[in-house]
Formats: sequence, structure tokens, C-alpha cells
Amino acid sequence: MDFRPLTETERKHLITALRGNAQDGLAVLMDRQTTSFLGTAEEVPDEEVINAIRSVPCHY
Amino acid sequence: MHQGSGCPPEFVPITFRELIRELIAAAGRRAARPVGRPAAVPAEAPAPLEPLRRVVLTDEVSRTLFGEYAAHRQSDRGGEEIGWDLMGTRQGDTATVLATLPAGEGRDASEGHVQFNRAAQEFAWRILRQGTRQLRMLGVAHTHPGSLRHPSSGDYRGDVRWVANLKGQEGVFGIGTADAAPGPQPEIAWQPAPNVQALGDLCLSWYVLGARDKNYRPVPVELTIGPDLAARLRPVWTELEAHAERLDRLARQLTGLKFEVTAGHQKSALALTVPLPDAGRAVRVELEGKAVRYRLLTPDGGPLAADLREDRVDVGVFLMLSELAAR
Repeated sequence: MDFRPLTETERKHLITALRGNAQDGLAVLMDRQTTSFLGTAEEVPDEEVINAIRSVPCHY
Repeated sequence: MHQGSGCPPEFVPITFRELIRELIAAAGRRAARPVGRPAAVPAEAPAPLEPLRRVVLTDEVSRTLFGEYAAHRQSDRGGEEIGWDLMGTRQGDTATVLATLPAGEGRDASEGHVQFNRAAQEFAWRILRQGTRQLRMLGVAHTHPGSLRHPSSGDYRGDVRWVANLKGQEGVFGIGTADAAPGPQPEIAWQPAPNVQALGDLCLSWYVLGARDKNYRPVPVELTIGPDLAARLRPVWTELEAHAERLDRLARQLTGLKFEVTAGHQKSALALTVPLPDAGRAVRVELEGKAVRYRLLTPDGGPLAADLREDRVDVGVFLMLSELAAR
């Protein structure tokens, strides 16, 4: 297995992604072929949206 | 680490940030030069969440809001308040509205209030979710019959509790009024103030509210080119409202369901496809006006019309599945 240093940009993205995963549960994406880091995907939980829609208050 | 150094191990507190920095530095030290194929450019990482400072509407979202507001005022119920759920993404200090869900014909409304048809909106979101899982609730736009361009105290009492459900515990709120002064060019929209859009005599004023705010804050609104992802549902919104609860129940009971808007006999139809375990076969239901048509899709014989008259779409689907299972 070979390694190479991350570029500064890659390092920032990875740190942000790891922090997002740890703090907000965001998915960390991986390339299926190379297993390299591809960024993050923010999938909104169903419950969050359904609860918000169901609880929209009456407006006046 | 102190392995092999002869020194006793030390246990010092380390923060999560320091741990990450050390892990990355360690990975970097193990490589002398780049090897293998170049790394793919990482996708743009989401900006850290900050208090909302701007709202971005796509052009189609803006057209929807102004167009449906104008059409509503010409309708039989034009004297009532009307409104929309605003769906989209929330990153950094920006909320980007990418879809609008209408209050629906099943709304409860008068000159002084509007309560949306939540069941229809919830099911509409399930359809949108088939295409993207990144839409979240951002807020609500609704109209006032007079010239109050600010959410009312009654709005505040409900909204300040509700925004606790939203990302960042902040929501976006638009207020529509029909009191705008003529703009420099009557054919195009203009912004009398950073948080106000006006087109003709219609006006949309934009605010944000946090769960701890004492009042709404005016927020600058910007336009970008983009879709209203819920626009394609408008031609079948009547069918969607009529069957929302039963369709929503089906979506939660069965996996692999697919909803789509398709060409019907007279107008657009809302179609539901239920894949069967046998390859290539599926139950398909088309909802068009009051008609509910059941089909069996087969890979070789094409679609077969089912002799089934059942207006309750969930009952009809299960009758079809039962009939097919018995064969």
C-alpha cells in the first residue's frame, strides 16, 4: 500500500468531513474503485422533514 | 508514542481537533512522494453552519410564488390568505430555496389565517425525495390581505417554537402583500429594499427567525438560475391531495415504490409503480382526476389492464398483489 501527502485543500476537506461526521452524522463519501475520499453528502433525515411539515403552524 | 524510547508513557489530554491533526500528519509522514493515480478532486465540503444572513431563491421558485399568488387572487378563494412550504438547502449563512409546496385546495384558510394541507405536502415531499435526499424544510411563505409586510404577532407565537425543528434552529419567512408601488419597468420584478421583491402590485418581504429571537430579522434575498423541484407535481396536485394519505401509507408499507408524473388520457396523471419479485413485472396505478386505473406490467406482453374498480388506491394495490400471489 502506498501513501502520499494530502494537499492543503484535501486536508481541509477531510478535516471538515470528519468533523461533520463526528458532530452532525454526515456521511463521508468514498470512491468505490480506489477507496479514496470523495467528500461528504448531507442526506437529510426523513424524520426531520416529516416532523417539520407536520408541525407547520397556522399563519395569520 | 514512546515505544522503544525507554521513557515511561505519558498520558496527556488531547482534543478531537488535535487528534485529527496528528492522524493526518502521521499519514503524511509515511509517504515520501505521490504515488498511484492522482486523487480525485474532493467534492466541495459543506460550509460550517452560521446564522442566516441571506436567502437565495431560484428563478423558477420566484416565478412560482408570484405566479401562484397572482392566480390565487383571481380565484374564487382570492380573498383568503395563501401560502407555501419552502424546501431547499442550508449551508453556511445561506438558505437556498429549491422547491415550493403549495397550501393545497384542502387548506383551512380565511382572510385572517391559513393552515396548509399537511398530508399532501408530506406525500409530495416523499416524491421529491426520490430524486434528492438533500432537501430540507427551510420555512414558510404566506400572504396577508392588507399591507402588513411583516409577520404578525400570531405568526411569531407559532413560528418561534416551530423553528426549533429546523436546521440551525432558524427559519425563512416570506410575507406576500398586494400593495407594491410601480417599479421602474412594470414588466420585470424589482427590489425596493434588500429583503423585498416586487412584481406589479405584488410584493414578497423576506425575514428570518431563530428559536431565541424576539423578533423577525429582515434578510436580503437574491435570485439564481435554478428549478422549482416541486413544479412538476403541480399538474397532479389535485390527485395528490385526493390520495395523499393512502399513497403515503403505501410508501411506508412497501419498498421500491416509484411515483411519477406521466401523460394521462386527458391530462397529466400521477402514476405509482410497485415492482414484483418476478423480473420485469410490476403493478402500476394511474390516478387521473377521479379515475384510478390498475395495470399489470409484463416484460413481454406489455401492460395489461386489470378489471378492478377500487377508488381506495392502497386497497386496490393489495387486491392486485393478492390476486397475483394466488396465481
